Amino acid sequence: MNDNKLKAKDFITIGIFTALIFVVEFACGMLGFIHPYIVASFVVLIPLVGSIPMMLFYTKIEKFGMLTIMSVLIAIIMFITGMGWLGAPLIILSGLIADLIAKKGGYKRFKLTAISHGVFCLWICANYFPVVVTAESYRKGLIEGGYSAEYCDALFRAINSKTIAVLLILCFVFGVIGAFVGKAVVRKHFEKAGIV
Amino acid sequence: MKALKLDPRTKLFMIFAVSFIVMVNAVTPLEWAVRIAVTAIPILLLAAEGRYASAIRFTVCYGAALALMRFWLSAESTGVFSAILVGYCGIVVQFMPAMIMAWYVIRTTKIGEFMSAMQKMHIPDGISISLAVVMRFFPTIKEEYAYINDAMRMRGISFGGGRYTKMIEYRLVPLMFSCLNIGEELSAAAVTRGLGAPVKRTGTVQLRIGAADIAVTGFFAASVMLFVFAKYIR
Repeated sequence: MNDNKLKAKDFITIGIFTALIFVVEFACGMLGFIHPYIVASFVVLIPLVGSIPMMLFYTKIEKFGMLTIMSVLIAIIMFITGMGWLGAPLIILSGLIADLIAKKGGYKRFKLTAISHGVFCLWICANYFPVVVTAESYRKGLIEGGYSAEYCDALFRAINSKTIAVLLILCFVFGVIGAFVGKAVVRKHFEKAGIV
Repeated sequence: MKALKLDPRTKLFMIFAVSFIVMVNAVTPLEWAVRIAVTAIPILLLAAEGRYASAIRFTVCYGAALALMRFWLSAESTGVFSAILVGYCGIVVQFMPAMIMAWYVIRTTKIGEFMSAMQKMHIPDGISISLAVVMRFFPTIKEEYAYINDAMRMRGISFGGGRYTKMIEYRLVPLMFSCLNIGEELSAAAVTRGLGAPVKRTGTVQLRIGAADIAVTGFFAASVMLFVFAKYIR
């Protein structure tokens, strides 16, 4: 059984973990409405919390394609929940690159897995893209849509075309750190229990 | 009253149309009208399915948020309370239509129907199977989370008390355990039913596009076009 085709079991695993990641993302996303700085801090929050299911997911990956499919699913879900189509290609791209990196290590070498998780986490930044690319109309829309000017100003102080680079780097760094955190948690709970 | 049955493909189109419309901020009254109309349709559909409680709940939530936004909040409002209020209204007005739509689709689509619709649209197996699992899993996660929350509350580990890392760890880890177990069972069941077998699957569900489908699709296509026209061309 060493063929490289994905089986039904793999697809089900992908589905389960995508649902888990989405729940984490959604829980964090709700916080973002309190203050725009929290929106910007997603790049720290989601990689750290999301890394726990992700690291468990990485232990289940043996074949190429699982991460890519996951990113496609995330892109679809993000579109449905109203994040826009601008981010979708970037989400899939980051998933594909992350998949390629992890494949190089045979999905076993932790160093490459950590980097791959960092790259994968860049999908979070893809959600900022509508804010950056269409800044002017987005702002106008928000104010006319009833958001307060205070919220908008803070949002654009936190996220604009200058800070997006910083956010991307932060996202990657915390993705890598998150990989270590997630690995520790997985080892603490799952390896001892003999699940992995 | 015979329940209205829609084709899963129509439902998917509805989801895409709704998320397209709510994504763009509505400004003029016409745009708002379109937006409210596309929110009303899934609520009506929920009522037609006999889920009056959810339909009423959604209507009240949406109405309240809309009214607050229209009459109270403006660009000048400041302060913590109004920030939270803006947050609440933002969630409801921006995401509620899509959420209601997704809720309706998940509640009324059987997995078998969904799979056979995906097969008819020639979506690769990988994506359709995973998507079906995601769809089926949201209610499960919610249920499991409620149990875990109860257990943790019994032990005195609740939100607001003490350390945040512990709070996350004690909830996420048990949740992952139970999800993994359910996943194992799910894949065993799926493989038994021949999922992933190298043949074309047949289904007991025959999908047919009916008059209702055409009407609903037409309505949503029209509202998307109206919206785009009002927004960009005008």
